[in-house]
Amino acid sequence: MRFALALAVLAATLPAHAQNQWVLAQSTLTWHVTHPMHEVAGTSHAAKGKGTCAKGECNFLIAVPVNTFHSGDSNRDLHTLQVVRGAEFPMVMVRTRLPQSALTSPTIRANLEVQLAGQTAHYSDVLLHRTQHGNDVEITGTIPATCSDFKIERPSFLTVPIHNEIPVDFDVLWRPE
Amino acid sequence: MSTEATVRVFALVFWLQEQAAVLRGICPGRGITLTASLLLIPFLTFAQSVSHPAATDAIFSSSLLPSAELPDAPAPPRPQNAQTQQQKPQQNNEPTLGDLGFTPAQTQANAKLQARLNKRTHMLKIHQTLGLITLAPLAATVIVSSGATPKHSHTSNGTVIEPSSSGVDLHAALGSTTAVLYGLTAYCAIAAPKIAGVKPKGAIRLHRDLVWIHLPGMVLTPILGGMALDQENQGEKPHGIAAAHSYVAWTTVTAYAASAVAVSWPIHWKFWEK
Repeated sequence: MRFALALAVLAATLPAHAQNQWVLAQSTLTWHVTHPMHEVAGTSHAAKGKGTCAKGECNFLIAVPVNTFHSGDSNRDLHTLQVVRGAEFPMVMVRTRLPQSALTSPTIRANLEVQLAGQTAHYSDVLLHRTQHGNDVEITGTIPATCSDFKIERPSFLTVPIHNEIPVDFDVLWRPE
Repeated sequence: MSTEATVRVFALVFWLQEQAAVLRGICPGRGITLTASLLLIPFLTFAQSVSHPAATDAIFSSSLLPSAELPDAPAPPRPQNAQTQQQKPQQNNEPTLGDLGFTPAQTQANAKLQARLNKRTHMLKIHQTLGLITLAPLAATVIVSSGATPKHSHTSNGTVIEPSSSGVDLHAALGSTTAVLYGLTAYCAIAAPKIAGVKPKGAIRLHRDLVWIHLPGMVLTPILGGMALDQENQGEKPHGIAAAHSYVAWTTVTAYAASAVAVSWPIHWKFWEK
């Protein structure tokens, strides 16, 4: 009887414990650059992330090496790496803190802290969409990043610089650990 | 000199080094140490003659050198190559970069690579600018080329009208200008630092591959033009390889223009949109 009770308690606590730790299973991050003559996007699938929940609050961190973004043109990718000082600051990092209760909502408003090019920018109330896939949770959204947020000198073509806005779309799949 | 006095003298040496570094805006170095040592001579003499510790206390007392009034010491320089990104203090079980399993090579800063990238971009910007400037004399050379070739009249006798010498000279001058600018443009691309492990991919490949057409074309065109001019001056119609001057020139122009478009591809004309 005691053994059965112990098993029942263990079974009840395991899922709860599992959802205290999240790991990034899949990711697609895409930056967009607009120039009057060009519209270019660069994508990376190399992000890694972790989420930890304690006392009703969850902290998430996603990081991705800058040099893993590919736009289909190696020259452009090297230029991108240069302007975002990707050799000096090789990682892009996104942090957020959410109430654990928000993780079950289909839409989440998050405050994001983004580190890029040696600068840190904060984005408030970024809308995230959540979709449940079995145990996994897919989160999609767009970070409304701009070049000026990170003191990035805007590259120009024919003396016309790219637009200041460089939104980053993300589609990440979190898995309970 | 007592041990305490020695320690205090060393402390003073360091403090003077810091002051000198702050004043000169540089980090403490050998020259500063020498300056500080020279400045210390009176203090050293004083320290040796002091018999009562209270006297040295008076020199270094906080009333004489209040710490709040002292400027901050300059921060020591951080070795760039050993620097790793992030290092935000962990709070409330916040995950850190170290938890994610990236290799040190992925997270470590590389100042040398950044310097190479900066130089590469700088040289390629010049390459781009010169390449676009070169388009102007190139187009002009093509436009004035009609004034540098003999014209056949449509009359029954088929008279050949020789080009004016000024027309030929203008064509040759513009062609030479194009060749010089082209050479400078090419130099900037060739001399730009290469980044190891990066294979050309995308539109840049076509841009680079077209070099094999317009580079020999840019060398051959003036040579063939000169040969054709010599033959015309001798009263002969351009023949042999010299007769290919205009064909080689047009191939070069087409390849050069395609190269410029390729590196800009895909082009979306959206000037009317914000």
